[in-house]
Amino acid sequence: MAPRKGENYELSVDLHSEYREKRKDAIKRVIASMTVGKDVSGLFPDVLMNMQTDDLEQKKLVYLYLMNYAKTQPELVILAVNTFVKDSDDPNPLVRALAIRTMGVLRAEKIIDYLCDPLQKCLRDENPYVRKTAALCVAKLYDLRPELVIDNGFLEQLHEMISDSNPMVVANTVAALTDIHIAASSQPSSSPNDPALFPISASVLSKLLIALNECSEWGRVAILNALARYVAQDDKESEHICERVVPQFQHVNGSVVLAAVKVIMIHMRGVRREDLIKQLVRKMAPPLVTLLSSPPEVQWVALRNINLLLQKRPDILSNEMRVFFCKYNDPLYVKVEKLDIMVRLAGDNNVDALLSELKEYASEVDVDFVRKSIKAIGQTAVKIDSAAERCVHVLLELIDTRVSYVVQEAVVVMRDIFRKYPSTYEGIIPTLCANLDELDEPEAKASLIWIIGEYANKIDNADELLGIFVDTFTEESYPVQLQTLTAVVKLFLKKPDSSQGIVQRVLNTATKDCDSPDVRDRAYIYWRLLSTDPGAAKAVVLAQRPPISIPRTTLLGEVSSLASVYHKPEETFVGKGRVGADSLQRKTDASDDRFSTQKAFQTVAAGQQAENLLDFDDTPAVEGRPSGLAATEVLSHTPAAASLLAGTSSNPLDDLVSIFGAPTAAPPSASPHDIFNGLAMNNGFSSGATGSLGSPVTQSPLVANIANVSPRSNQQQPQEDLLGLF
Amino acid sequence: MALDGIIILDNTGRPIIQSGFRSSTTAYPLLHIDAVNNALQKADRSADVDPVIYVAPYNSANPSACCHVEVGDMRFLCPISGDVDPLFAFAFLQTFIDILREYLGTVSAATLKDNFDIVYQLFEETLDAGGHPLTTYSNALRDIVIPPSLLNKLLNVTGTNFNSTINSGFGAGAAAGPFSSPLPWRKTGVRYNNNEIYFDVVEELRAIVNKNGLVTFSNVRGRIEANTKLSGTPDCSLNFTNSQVISDCALHPCVRFQRWNRDKILSFVPPDGRFTLMDYTYSPNPLPSQSQVMLAKNNVALPFVIKANIELEDSGGSFDVLLTSRYSTHALENVVAEMHLGQGAGGIRCSVSRGSGGGGFINAGGSRNLETGGASNGASWSFDSRRMVLRWEIPIVSPSSSWSLHGSFSTANRVPRPSHVIRVRFDISSHTYSALKVDQLKVVNAKESYKPYKGVRGRSSGDVEWRW
Repeated sequence: MAPRKGENYELSVDLHSEYREKRKDAIKRVIASMTVGKDVSGLFPDVLMNMQTDDLEQKKLVYLYLMNYAKTQPELVILAVNTFVKDSDDPNPLVRALAIRTMGVLRAEKIIDYLCDPLQKCLRDENPYVRKTAALCVAKLYDLRPELVIDNGFLEQLHEMISDSNPMVVANTVAALTDIHIAASSQPSSSPNDPALFPISASVLSKLLIALNECSEWGRVAILNALARYVAQDDKESEHICERVVPQFQHVNGSVVLAAVKVIMIHMRGVRREDLIKQLVRKMAPPLVTLLSSPPEVQWVALRNINLLLQKRPDILSNEMRVFFCKYNDPLYVKVEKLDIMVRLAGDNNVDALLSELKEYASEVDVDFVRKSIKAIGQTAVKIDSAAERCVHVLLELIDTRVSYVVQEAVVVMRDIFRKYPSTYEGIIPTLCANLDELDEPEAKASLIWIIGEYANKIDNADELLGIFVDTFTEESYPVQLQTLTAVVKLFLKKPDSSQGIVQRVLNTATKDCDSPDVRDRAYIYWRLLSTDPGAAKAVVLAQRPPISIPRTTLLGEVSSLASVYHKPEETFVGKGRVGADSLQRKTDASDDRFSTQKAFQTVAAGQQAENLLDFDDTPAVEGRPSGLAATEVLSHTPAAASLLAGTSSNPLDDLVSIFGAPTAAPPSASPHDIFNGLAMNNGFSSGATGSLGSPVTQSPLVANIANVSPRSNQQQPQEDLLGLF
Repeated sequence: MALDGIIILDNTGRPIIQSGFRSSTTAYPLLHIDAVNNALQKADRSADVDPVIYVAPYNSANPSACCHVEVGDMRFLCPISGDVDPLFAFAFLQTFIDILREYLGTVSAATLKDNFDIVYQLFEETLDAGGHPLTTYSNALRDIVIPPSLLNKLLNVTGTNFNSTINSGFGAGAAAGPFSSPLPWRKTGVRYNNNEIYFDVVEELRAIVNKNGLVTFSNVRGRIEANTKLSGTPDCSLNFTNSQVISDCALHPCVRFQRWNRDKILSFVPPDGRFTLMDYTYSPNPLPSQSQVMLAKNNVALPFVIKANIELEDSGGSFDVLLTSRYSTHALENVVAEMHLGQGAGGIRCSVSRGSGGGGFINAGGSRNLETGGASNGASWSFDSRRMVLRWEIPIVSPSSSWSLHGSFSTANRVPRPSHVIRVRFDISSHTYSALKVDQLKVVNAKESYKPYKGVRGRSSGDVEWRW
């Protein structure tokens, strides 16, 4: 009991007052204390006394109190059971619903035993509000005591309720069944015959389609999500579903629109009629674009989804790039997504508009945005061959501004352009070299050094320029060191006569005075290559690199578990996933499920900084994933990697280190991509690129080679040489 | 689908009120509050924080994410777990905020605290503990959560127990009880002595103008806001004389979709009170069977032109901006033009004047945080030295008039880096860009016939980015 004085005592007195207004006011004060975190659990019996009342509001407040303390005082809650059971029979449907809802969330074992009978009755209540509340209550009961749900036949009852006359009841029943389905299928022991599973049959489908147009926006989302799981029998049925769902595009609520887009994307694959597909694609664009008039948060989610959709269906917004022009006051996250989409939409017809817009952005105030815009120019150059020259021109203009971060970013971007169009823009190399002194960021330096090394035979004073970096070798950051090392070796291979001295110097410094094992290892490898077989060295260091292209966020469409904004593996969004229409075999492995969700979330987290298209380089992000996955796949042939993939280690890099025997500085994380990063870093001699973390663009042939070497694929010279080295 | 709940934070990042979180651990909401506060602290500008934040799992629980939006000086959080579309969370948050507005008038930390019992009830009624949104139609909600009306307050003060009679009588008021209405958005048994129905056609222009004064992008989004006070179950049908000017419509669920698509007639039984009947895009030159979102781009004439002459020199710059209205009949109201002057800007000297040369010339001295200057005809300027934004306000730009802002600024850096953008926002009353015109509104009521009072008004606003 509460002490005889103090606030709680006063409250307790008021709770026993003979005036109902005073009692009600006291209950409000109790709730207020509860809100600010004061302990009012001592008043439990006093509050409970006020539970039996005609005043609905007062009853709700008492229930609120009960729900709050049911967890900590389960033995007291049992005192309320009688009232609950009585209330579930009240003439007022609101009271009946309230009682059943509250009992469902109390989560007290003792209450649960008394729940089943009232629930049975409420599921058949004449009032739809009570029925729909009861339906949701079944899902909660399943969460606590699945056997009670099955024994009492609640599942069968829910299945019957899909045919309810009231669309709200149907929608909530679908939501409840879906919850139970998810809970049941995440059980490791679940079998395909588990009664709790909720397969969407053809008869359920027709009921859902009828209810769809009648219920609230939230109900529609629940129904649409269920429709996304349905496996259409033939193309006629797919067409039927699409035609019935399309009107949802005109709903005011954005989440209904997006859920409808998802259903259409999934079922459109079953549609054979070309005209219908065309029509669907055309109808999809306006509602998505309309979402861009919403608040920035909604815009962002819409943009992320548009980004995904564009990779599946590049044609949906082909003429609408201007909609995505960034406004000065857009938040950064919106601008970044817009840039990404603009590059995706870029084509011969709109590239001029895009470039002038990007140039505009590059003069803005926000440094991050400026950098991303410059990256976007590089991406455009890589994407559209015919526009590359115009892009280079814009970049040169930007370099002319002499704003430090603009110049540095432009240099980085130039590297990618040189990579994509070798020997095309050599004329601008002097301009780039003139800015050597202004570069202070490792990536920019490394990029310029790469360019110098690559064109060492065309640059007269290449040895001089590289000499600057060799002189300060130990003071530079590791990526710059690695790049300097490679560039000097390239220089030596191209102009052996004049650069004997410098290559000696750099190898000496790198092996003796450098504290990074990566740098040392690479230097040793070069040294041995050069001393044993210069021909092999040439083949390795000056090897042809694979061509680069714009990385895709969703690699290979459905391969990886990509979470965009959708916060789910991409395949659940556009098909082929565990809940997608194509999932013919059901995944029953709970851990697998959880893993994919977790990865999805991580991807989002990482993607928030890095996932955009604009990074060709150096960001541990989604775009690297395909190669990451590819690498993983190959790696799994080796025993160490296999154990790693089995997920025994929390930090995959540890295991990688054991494979390659070198420490690493990559951040720990559990995504397969990092395995790739680890590889790229640990192999220690990326020949061409900047020596940064592996991404498709900078991926050197050697990285690929290593991957190939592991499964003993018998390919030609450079790899074998490498094997020898190992 | 699992929206785990709602948390409302005050401007210091402390929770004001939060929903029950009965299916999760006590630590769960705290983790989310921490995650959001950390993200806000790390960001330079709170507006740039990603709206969906990854929340690391605690104790091997499943990972989750936190969707958040800023409302006034508060922040609304919606933690989500599992495969949830964040848009679902944002749509729900928006709906919830709208409901709060309807119940409390203004949504602020103070009103939330004063009405915590109402807010708790709304949490319970709108969001199920399993994460499913429940009742959000305000017509239905008002049946089960009584709004804090003046009447209620008076009764509470006088201490009568009249109040509870109303409460318990509520269910009985509608014969078959709440939620028995065949139309979930409209309650039954509505009675008015004066039947009225009003429509506001509200349009917003968004545009980007490039350096050469050409419109690179423009778009007009409109909506029809209705306020109905009609007895019984009225069946309305509304048609327009020029429905071809609108496209990409999004309709309130009460509108009969087929009818609109076939005949371009909005046929509906409205909810009681305020609601948004439809959203649309204005498309001046519609082509049949084509998405009109983009085709509108070059066709909406901007209501003003700007001539900006801005010279940047070492450690500063001078500007001369002339804004001229292009409209001959409507005045632009509440015109606000903003320009970001870049880091380290200061020493603003400005004058605003009307027309060519007329008006006063005032140099304002700088108070520390907000330098301001007033001028003739109510136009004024100010400088926000925290955001580095020069702001120019003109209450009314009458038809065809022109206004100028003339001045200079200095910067701490040698090279000034202002944004090359002037952002102009304005309102126009009794005007729509689309000139959408209501032809006829019919209200049919089966049980009783009455002639409601009808009204239609137009209202426009704009947000234009003018680059120089």
